[in-house]
Amino acid sequence: MSLNLENLARRIGQKWIIQNLNLNVDPGECLALLGPSGCGKSSTLRLIAGLDKPTRGSIYLLGKDITNISPLKRRVGMVFQSYALYPHLDVYNNLALGLKIRGISIKDQKHRLDNVLGLLKLDLLSNYMPSQLSGGQRQRVALARALLRDPDLYLLDEPMSNLDAQLREDLRPELRNLILGNKQPVVYVTHDQQEAMAMANRIALLKEGRLEQIGTPKELYLRPRTTFVAGFIGRPQINFIKREPGIIVGIRPEDVKFSIDGLPSKIIHKEWHGSNQLLLLDSKFGKIRMITKANMDIPSDINLTWSKSKEHLFREDSKEAIIKD
Amino acid sequence: MTELNRRNTTILLLILWSITPLIWQLYTSFCSPEALISPFENIAKRWTLDNYRQVFQADPPFWRYLVNSSLVGIYTTFITLLISIPAAYSLVKLPRRIANVSKLVLTSVALFPYVLLFLALLEFARSLNLGNNLLALSIPYSGLSLPLAILLISSAIKDLPADLEEAAKIDGLNLWQRFRWILVPLIAPACASTAIIVFLFSWNEYPIALTWISKDELLTLPVAIARLAGSSVYSVPYGAYAAATVIGSIPLIIIMIIFQKQIVSGLTQGAVKG
Repeated sequence: MSLNLENLARRIGQKWIIQNLNLNVDPGECLALLGPSGCGKSSTLRLIAGLDKPTRGSIYLLGKDITNISPLKRRVGMVFQSYALYPHLDVYNNLALGLKIRGISIKDQKHRLDNVLGLLKLDLLSNYMPSQLSGGQRQRVALARALLRDPDLYLLDEPMSNLDAQLREDLRPELRNLILGNKQPVVYVTHDQQEAMAMANRIALLKEGRLEQIGTPKELYLRPRTTFVAGFIGRPQINFIKREPGIIVGIRPEDVKFSIDGLPSKIIHKEWHGSNQLLLLDSKFGKIRMITKANMDIPSDINLTWSKSKEHLFREDSKEAIIKD
Repeated sequence: MTELNRRNTTILLLILWSITPLIWQLYTSFCSPEALISPFENIAKRWTLDNYRQVFQADPPFWRYLVNSSLVGIYTTFITLLISIPAAYSLVKLPRRIANVSKLVLTSVALFPYVLLFLALLEFARSLNLGNNLLALSIPYSGLSLPLAILLISSAIKDLPADLEEAAKIDGLNLWQRFRWILVPLIAPACASTAIIVFLFSWNEYPIALTWISKDELLTLPVAIARLAGSSVYSVPYGAYAAATVIGSIPLIIIMIIFQKQIVSGLTQGAVKG
């Protein structure tokens, strides 16, 4: 059971919104499509779901070419960003509709529904209308609908972006257990790098319709292939410094240290985060972000240094990484 | 005067403005002809049910016209909705440029003074042998109602989040099933208000009904009311007119009361995004 995208491309008018995308997602693997808005991540998901047609390229699911198969027949479980619950049906009928359409007997419908409602702790809400539910509850109903589809593939389109931060953190492990425990491939679209790192086995970072880099969260963090990847993954954002012509040096805020004879700099802004504090410093290379321990009093003029091994080097012209030996 | 008082007075005046003709109609229908001519003199026999008696004792009986008009109204509404819902759906799904042109055409057709058409329509009726047939009468009625109906319903469909239909596709619902389970239930309020507008048009329509129907027992209400005058040009039976109009309005008022909520919510659908 795996999903393969081959040279997938889509053009709207004159604009290529996805260009030559090659991806594969293994059974049981969660691949996050990550990127800023307009990078083509949601468009890619819609192509996989069959809601839009690719201009070029093919999509294979379980080795079968599904590029031209109608979304009705694709057996895809999808969670929409808006959840897209049918507003005129209560929770039970929202979930039962798909089963009914597929000709599953009333008895089986009830059996499967009871199972899923129990699994997602929706038993007591089955007679509620979607408008009466909270965001988190709606999300669970949308998830239940995807589970009941019996899919060969899960597609999640920003499933948490309408929830508040607290709820998001609570729901992450739940979502992982429910969907990632299965043997289907999962494609998870998000613009939040932290969420992608928390949920996905691998992350595909997209920019302007192209694949910028694909790899495990660790690979993307430790070995970004371009300045874009380095800047997108990791918060607070990496510092880019021009120390010598033609080369951009990237250094992560947590790798910046104090030293007696380092780079002289001045604090211009301080944020105390409880477990650490973020300093924004002004130096001859421009602004530098740095993370230090929380319980430290820091004078306004300090000297900075970092270890050479923590530096990421990029070519200034192509913005690509210079591979160190 | 306070703000509230001023507003209430305005509302009261507006209500009076619109309801006075109806009250006058009601009053006229219960007046004897003598009382109508001299409203301020003291006449012994001012109040009477004669007008209603006259209307109901006509041959064929008056309820017959009510039934005719209701039938035409129901046929028309049904045919119009049956065509306009799928048409509105395709209008929403068409590429934007074609949809805009189609809307422009529909709007101009909806604004066309249909009275200019009835002679041509009469030729159609004659050559296709559609005269004196209530179901046939509802064909031009639906034709004339369609542009507005399509525009109203398409704006309701357009306001539905696109996600809903896509979710239904993913759920495996084909086009017909999406209509049956998702689309039509969600645009029901717009359909109800459209249905009322169409029904009203058909209920009140005069020139086409006059020319297409000649058999007494198939006349629709407006034509039948106009015929109450009989052959005399010199006496106008105001009382009987009024009585017939009152009777003819009752079904409409009942429909309005039943569907009031849907009509208002349908007409304002899309005004505020929820």
